[in-house]
Amino acid sequence: MNLIKHPELLDRLASSHALGTLRGGARRRFEAMAREQAPVRAAALIWQSRIASMNELQTAVPPSPVVWTRIDNLLQGEKEAQAMQATRQAAAQSTAKANAASEGVGGWLRSLALWRGATAAGVAATVVAVVVGVNMRDDISQRLGNQIASLQTQLQAAPQIEYVAVLADDKSTASMLVTFDPKNRKLVLQRVGGYQEAGDRSLQLWALPPSGGPKSLGVLGSDKVLRLTAAEGDVREVPTLAISLEPKGGVPGAGGPTGPVLFKGALIQKLL
Amino acid sequence: MNPESTDAELIALLDRVARQDATALKALYDRCSSKLYGLAMRVVSNREWAEDVLQEAFLNIWRSAGDYRASLSPPMAWMGLIVRSRGLDFLRRRSSDRAHVTQELDEHLAETLEGETPNPMDTAQASEQAWALHQCLGQLDNRQREVVSLAYIRDLSHSELAQQLKLPLGTVKTWIRRGLDQLRLCMARFA
Repeated sequence: MNLIKHPELLDRLASSHALGTLRGGARRRFEAMAREQAPVRAAALIWQSRIASMNELQTAVPPSPVVWTRIDNLLQGEKEAQAMQATRQAAAQSTAKANAASEGVGGWLRSLALWRGATAAGVAATVVAVVVGVNMRDDISQRLGNQIASLQTQLQAAPQIEYVAVLADDKSTASMLVTFDPKNRKLVLQRVGGYQEAGDRSLQLWALPPSGGPKSLGVLGSDKVLRLTAAEGDVREVPTLAISLEPKGGVPGAGGPTGPVLFKGALIQKLL
Repeated sequence: MNPESTDAELIALLDRVARQDATALKALYDRCSSKLYGLAMRVVSNREWAEDVLQEAFLNIWRSAGDYRASLSPPMAWMGLIVRSRGLDFLRRRSSDRAHVTQELDEHLAETLEGETPNPMDTAQASEQAWALHQCLGQLDNRQREVVSLAYIRDLSHSELAQQLKLPLGTVKTWIRRGLDQLRLCMARFA
């Protein structure tokens, strides 16, 4: 049927198309006609625009101020990510030059075969140590008793790193090394990437427990290494740590992160 | 304030946002966030979800303000379309995640419809065309107006409306048809 000759029907179809209640085959036929015939298309567009005015008629409700903070943080994060990307590209270019000059060190370190070899050597050393331990008999252990006791005293004093996490950005570039010594309740963060937050922002470290919301572990200063105190309960059984970009001084109050998460990584408990 | 000067100001802000001027985005947010949050609430009917929708919509505006002028729409109409689309996206993601959400929505909708008080349509910050639509919607009976608005705002089909509002399908079809007929006659006077 030629819709243009039936203006009332055209209007009816265009209005229900715009409302969204024209569905299925009727909708497809109408849209096909609109593509082919400009007057049909014009009617469809007029009604789309009329019906869309409904969006403007809803009662205004002021949103929570948190929404703007979140938007602002995301924009800042975006801006900083762009700056970081630019820095990294520049760095990559100079590294590429350096590599071209001395192909070797980088390639050598990256060699998978070497790492496999090193791991195998580590395993072999462990096996030797265990065998030696098993072979120690009473006579020797008596003599070693005192030595062990003094070693234990030393060990008590030395940091005991039991948990390790490498936090990486969304491109899997390592940016922060976290170690936790539950005995001395020392959480140490070391910046390993080139990331630097803006002067009016702070990075905040969060534990992401399997249930419940993120729990703040502390706010980072601008130093390369940061030491925080944390109870083992805050860290144990937490699968993931994350760092978000927040207003200077961290999230005010007890709420969760308001800014984008920049770095994230699994927390691993060392077994050896 | 007269709507034309308001529109001109919003358009100037959108132009600055298109040039990645963050202070302009803040100014735009201060002007429009309540109106747009009200719309987001109406689409998703949950404060927290509406906040997520508003946040996504403003990030969207930040990235696509350069396309605004080509749309030839009044600024609030353009931003309203963005908020509604992000809201509908949000509902689609939710309902594919969790089926019970539609249940909550159903109950909320049914309550809305039971109330005999007229839906408080708000012409503040509305474009001239929206004002005309408001006049014409005002001539519909409350339940008819509500069904017509919900069909659009939440992108619901006749059968989805019938199911969610617990009304017979025939009733929904009749209300929508009569509602649209009245709107067509009325809007023709403003064209």
